[in-house]
Amino acid sequence: MEISNLGKGLPCAVGKLLPQQVRRAMKLTAILLTVVCVNVSAHSFEQQTVSFSGKDVPLTAVFKSIEKQTGFSFFFNYSLLSNSKPVTINVHSVKLEVLLDLILKVQGFDYYQNGKTIFVIKMAHSTSGDSLIGLKKGNIFLNVLKGVVVNSQDEPLAGATIEVVKEGKNILTDAFGKFEIKNAPQGATLKITYLGYQPKVIEVDENESIRIVLELADNKLDEAEVIAYGSTTQRFSTGNITTVKGEDIARQPIQNPLLALEGRVPGLFITQASGIAGTGVTVRLEGQNSISAGNDPLYIIDGVPYPSQMLPTTTGGPLDVLGSSGASARQPGGNGNPLGFINPADIESVNILKDADATAIYGSRAANGAILITTKKGKMGPAKVSLNVQQGEGAISRRLNLLSLRQYLDMRYEGISNDGLSITSSTNYDLRVWDTTRNTNWQRVLLGGTARYTNIYSDVSGGNNTMQYLVGATFNRNSSVFPGNFADQRIGLHFTVNSFSENRKFRLQLSGNYLDDDNRLPGHDLTSVALTTPPDAPSLYNPGGSLNWAPNSSGSSTWFGGSNPVAFTLAPYENHTRNLLGNLILGYKILPGLELTSSFGYTNLGTNESQLNPLIAIQPASRPFALSSANYTNSAINTWIIEPQINYDVFIGKGKLNLLLGSTIQQNHSNGYVLTGSGFSSDALLSDIHSAATIVSNSSVASVYKYDALFGRIGYRLMDRYLVDVTARRDGSSRFGSQNQFHNFGAIGAAWIFSEEHFFKHSVRFLSFGKIHGSYGITGNDQIGDYQYLNLYNTSAVPVPYQGISALTTAGLPNPYLQWETTKKSEIGIDLGLGANSRILLSVNYVVNHSSNELLTYKLPIITGFTAITENFPATIENTGVEINVNCIDIKNKDFFWKTNVNLTLPNNKLVSFPNLKISSYANSLVIGKPITILKVYHSLGVDPTKGEYVFESSHGVTTSSPSPGVDQIAIVNTLPKYYGGFSNSFGYKHFQLDILFQFVKQIGAGYHFGAQVPGERFNQPKSVLGRWTSLGQLTAIQRYNSSGSLASSWIYEVSSDANYSDASFIRLKNLSLSYQFVGSAFIRAHLDDFQIYVQGENLLTFTKYLGMDPETQSTAALPPLRMLTLGLKAGIK
Amino acid sequence: MKKNTLIYKNWKVTHRTLLVLAIFIISGCKKLVNVPPPTTGLASGSVYENDQAAISAVTGIYTRIMNSPNFVSGQGVTFFCGLSADEFTLWNGITNNAEIAYYTNNLAVNIAGSELWNALYPYIFQCNDAITYLNNSTSLTPAIRVQLLGEAKFMRALFYFYLTNLYGPLPLVLTTNYTSNALLSREPQTTIYQQIISDLHDAENLLSPQYLDGTLLVTSNDRVRPTKWAAMALLARAYLYSDDWGNAENLADSVINNSTLFKLSSLKNAFLRASLGNLEAIWQMQPVTTGQTNTQDAPLYIITSTGPSIAQPVYLSNSLLQSFEPNDGRRLVWVDSVVISGKVFYYPYKYKINTLNSPVTEHQMILRLAELFLIRAEARAQQGDISGAQTDLNVIRSRAGLPNTTANSQTDLLSAIMRERRIEFFAELGNRWLDLKRTNSVDSVMSPACIVKGGNWNTYQKLYPIGDVPTDPNLVQNSGY
Repeated sequence: MEISNLGKGLPCAVGKLLPQQVRRAMKLTAILLTVVCVNVSAHSFEQQTVSFSGKDVPLTAVFKSIEKQTGFSFFFNYSLLSNSKPVTINVHSVKLEVLLDLILKVQGFDYYQNGKTIFVIKMAHSTSGDSLIGLKKGNIFLNVLKGVVVNSQDEPLAGATIEVVKEGKNILTDAFGKFEIKNAPQGATLKITYLGYQPKVIEVDENESIRIVLELADNKLDEAEVIAYGSTTQRFSTGNITTVKGEDIARQPIQNPLLALEGRVPGLFITQASGIAGTGVTVRLEGQNSISAGNDPLYIIDGVPYPSQMLPTTTGGPLDVLGSSGASARQPGGNGNPLGFINPADIESVNILKDADATAIYGSRAANGAILITTKKGKMGPAKVSLNVQQGEGAISRRLNLLSLRQYLDMRYEGISNDGLSITSSTNYDLRVWDTTRNTNWQRVLLGGTARYTNIYSDVSGGNNTMQYLVGATFNRNSSVFPGNFADQRIGLHFTVNSFSENRKFRLQLSGNYLDDDNRLPGHDLTSVALTTPPDAPSLYNPGGSLNWAPNSSGSSTWFGGSNPVAFTLAPYENHTRNLLGNLILGYKILPGLELTSSFGYTNLGTNESQLNPLIAIQPASRPFALSSANYTNSAINTWIIEPQINYDVFIGKGKLNLLLGSTIQQNHSNGYVLTGSGFSSDALLSDIHSAATIVSNSSVASVYKYDALFGRIGYRLMDRYLVDVTARRDGSSRFGSQNQFHNFGAIGAAWIFSEEHFFKHSVRFLSFGKIHGSYGITGNDQIGDYQYLNLYNTSAVPVPYQGISALTTAGLPNPYLQWETTKKSEIGIDLGLGANSRILLSVNYVVNHSSNELLTYKLPIITGFTAITENFPATIENTGVEINVNCIDIKNKDFFWKTNVNLTLPNNKLVSFPNLKISSYANSLVIGKPITILKVYHSLGVDPTKGEYVFESSHGVTTSSPSPGVDQIAIVNTLPKYYGGFSNSFGYKHFQLDILFQFVKQIGAGYHFGAQVPGERFNQPKSVLGRWTSLGQLTAIQRYNSSGSLASSWIYEVSSDANYSDASFIRLKNLSLSYQFVGSAFIRAHLDDFQIYVQGENLLTFTKYLGMDPETQSTAALPPLRMLTLGLKAGIK
Repeated sequence: MKKNTLIYKNWKVTHRTLLVLAIFIISGCKKLVNVPPPTTGLASGSVYENDQAAISAVTGIYTRIMNSPNFVSGQGVTFFCGLSADEFTLWNGITNNAEIAYYTNNLAVNIAGSELWNALYPYIFQCNDAITYLNNSTSLTPAIRVQLLGEAKFMRALFYFYLTNLYGPLPLVLTTNYTSNALLSREPQTTIYQQIISDLHDAENLLSPQYLDGTLLVTSNDRVRPTKWAAMALLARAYLYSDDWGNAENLADSVINNSTLFKLSSLKNAFLRASLGNLEAIWQMQPVTTGQTNTQDAPLYIITSTGPSIAQPVYLSNSLLQSFEPNDGRRLVWVDSVVISGKVFYYPYKYKINTLNSPVTEHQMILRLAELFLIRAEARAQQGDISGAQTDLNVIRSRAGLPNTTANSQTDLLSAIMRERRIEFFAELGNRWLDLKRTNSVDSVMSPACIVKGGNWNTYQKLYPIGDVPTDPNLVQNSGY
């Protein structure tokens, strides 16, 4: 049989591409039980006339008569006709069509003709229905269902999937969101899905053209997640991705969006360097993979890579007030963090990509994961203005318990007498010159100020169906707690335009962000000064307001080091950064499902810094021998990137195939210099470099980084149940020697949504969703800085060149064989949704990452001329982790909701192998089987009860007060967190909403109980030093007071011993936000559609046993994170 | 067939795009990741192919030394050795643990001791790099290549001289191969001296007898580049330190005999820059830092009217002051004092310009003629030439306004020479500390002196500890640390 052969011979994979009628025929072949075949006549269907006359004749009899008259044969299912009624009819020489209409249509049957066969079928729709349009197209009779899919803003959703449920037929909507289903069966069920929207199932009813409105997904499973070169949902993702929404970021009064991720993302550990505005932020995603290359994730903002470190400024100078962002030895960074120059208010969402499946497509840049930031886009509708005004205050959240005046003085007297020295010595200014009855709490004076926070954001958005726009502006000001007038002030602009051509095949998206940040700070963090200045120190200022230098009789300042603690405030630091991000995407839909796009991105992060050192900040007696000076830093990082891509979505069989192919061409240009001017005729001229008598260029950066790649991805989703995803990338980077510039990376990910299986659906009813996913792949790390493979001489500029000759000095040891560091990532995870609509969503991921071919800063003895060289080393580091995330809608009814999120990460890191570790330069810092972050420290045996001096155990088990560095560091301290995570709750009652986020970390860290200097010297100390050794045989934790420096060595050993490390775990009420939404006719009349007031708090409470200033920064020189409290008002005007 | 055309159409479009993309990528690949060398640096090879760059590279060594005051100026050899020996008193207001450790001879690896080791080996790398490339260079002007090669060898000898005197046996690094260098062990001091002497002999033959300017082709009145004479002077010192009296005498002789080039200056002028007529200078170094266009020693040692401070932490010890003979001109011209709260602080005043932005009248003195007279005196005394030794010693004494020496036996003469060296070279590149050690008098002198400083003397303290032990498995720490 021709028909059945045709049907059987076609592979199902190309089913979609077959003409509709053929497919229909195939179906019939399978369904029909009986086949009637008769001879073939010579007349065509249209020309054929027939006659028939009879009363109560069965249809089959009529068919037989027609077959005899015409030569056409009938093809039908006997069971179909079993319900038919006999017909009474009398016609003469009528068209065959007319007769067939008369006998079949009235009974609810239909027919069509193909060749010499007339197929009799059940009519697909009731006769009264208009929604199925019976078309007579040529001689083919078709039913066509038409419709359009839009979102609640009436924007068409292009590429939505329409599934005709029982037939397993899938089609995609076109650029206008329109679709057309030919031969749709009567009463068909359609399932419409679109990424990030709630799926919708509809029975096709009697509308002529269906309009389907999809609502945004309200459960975590179906919310859109941005991934590399595309998007997905948690439901269908094969990777490990966490999304933080813009609204969560907006709840926190912060300036760096990274800080809003703290405690929210499993596997992500964030540490801020200090509480100063613009501070450095260290980001570690799923552990530390590299011993000495960079460990920063890849940041992508709207598709454009963004720097993870600022350019280096002057090293070791006072410019470190901002603190580091965890730069590595081989990828030096400046202070502060580049993400601090991204306006949190512009962010729509942040997606954190962790495993190989999600990141391998970024190749050599993705070993440490990727953080994708998407900025806000305009929405269709009339212009809408929104305004958000916020004002608040901040203060330090913790103070240390220091010695009182009496205790301090007693410590000094005891220390001096312990050393057999005389108190009358002229240099004991704190006892001899200063008023020892004066008592000042320096923490209050220097750190006790109030930081004021102001944030104003406004945007206008709107558009029609071919163009949408959003334009927003921000003003933000954050002052400091230090005495003096310091503040970080920023102005930001953001715009985005989306546009479509009339046929919606061409699209354009242009967005731009600009931020201008002017950060004025004292030249130095005053925290350590506040902790160590003796309580009897004199007033900082003279009655007139000038600095009090408290001179002795010979005119020399009696302050420690001759420097008034607040002299730094007269030596201001100013950081003026301008950040421009531009991004253009052009897309053209060649065919439904096939789109060619190209993105063009540009970023320019430019910084001007100045650090002024006026003479007025130096004690008067030293001024004749000092020069006023100023450092000026000017640096810029420019990146451009072009990424042409082809994306093809197609249904193959019962599954959907996604193909992506693309290429990256990227260039980074880093340029910068640091100039020092000196010898100004007046302090007033310091900010003008032209007024300097001598100008020296301290350093310059001019590096080019080029990067080129080809990448692809194949994803296949079968029956919404089985998913597989393969990615590959070939990378080239200029950071490596010519022999090793290219490398391939790739990953495979797979998932099984077992809850979709029938056996599961019926047996386990409490589980609404269940997915197992896993991935394995290889990614790389090229964060080693530029030109490391070259043997370079750099210019070393000096004010007075030697014999007038500019000097060249060796820059470092070259290594032309440098290669990528590779990280093999494997991950397995399970996602479970419990209750209706996956009310409780549990995700557990187990991660194993192996990094090898380590780019090591191989420590060298200085006899080689340098202390280090970068080398690939066959060491292997393993990061494992268990990441647990639970989202739960505890209660949700008309007036009240309660949502909970808990995330917990249990990280582990270990050095798996390191060939010849014992003879390597890492012998004293790494141990196989232990984390690479361990510290090898001395093992303290406490205080020798006879001598009152710290003693240690040597490697030979001998007790000594002077252990040998490199030999006797026998104790191992592991500061890696044991676990960390966050716990957040959202409550809503009518128009109130309350959000609470707790962050917790279990770890140990260096404390402050031994003090910042040798107890007994001219520094105030924590109260813990009171437990010092005083008499023979006494067992104490603190050695005797010492003022001569003779016990300095044992004190330093003790501070770098295991005794200095103790519990630094903490639970912090990181964020609290309470809002009230006003509603009512008055607001509607005032065109206010969203009017709310809110209170936000940051770092409100910290529960810790930590023996120091702050368990997060763990520094006695850095201002702890501030406790902020703000009040705000938000309004939307239509 | 319709279905086939549909598939075909799809593929045609995809294919074409793929093809375009593939061609684009394959053709661009290599080019797209090749970057030119940075504009902020020069590749090593090209440095020594060009006269100007080669001069800049070797001059870079001098610039580094003078810009980071950790060797011949500022807090370098003079400062640390002065603290270790009996020259300086550390002001009691100082809490800097490193300074206290040097002063009380109580060095520890985690506090201080390896500063000069860490400072000088990187300079040796640059010398080794220069020697390697200069030996093979064919494109440089011959006179320039020879002079630069001589300078690099001279400097390498100078660095090893101080290193071995401070730290004892040393790893002898003569190449830039870090893989083998990182595993070097220590060579005995005699081997180090052999290398120093061999380098200096090479330098003597290579270096110009004329003082040159920055072009290396034109003579200069300043004496800030090493010459044949500087090599010979340092060689005389190296022979003296290795007890090779005959060679020490001969070399000192040759330098002293060049009386057209070298003459003792008056005490007042002995530390002026050579171009101001100070012919005592055999080799000086030019200051390069901001404001202090004169030396860094003057602002470090000259105590201002506010008294000792962190910036001026030392003054002259009583023991040194007491060892001046009455009417010694050096006590008047090279020592000054300030009175603070009734206490007198005496300080070195060889360099006198401590104010900023003054005209440059002083250069940092490294080698001067007076030392050669004392080297020859000592060498002669050791060889039994009593009158020759007396003559040389008296040259120095008479310049200081002192009568001729009364010492007339070899022993007396040698100790007179030592006393004279202590006075002549106080606060000058650690001469005292080095003399004490090479003459084996360090224990007898330092035992009492260390108590005065608040420490306890142990013989092992004559060597400083080294910092490289953890990174080089074959390096052994100096005993006692």
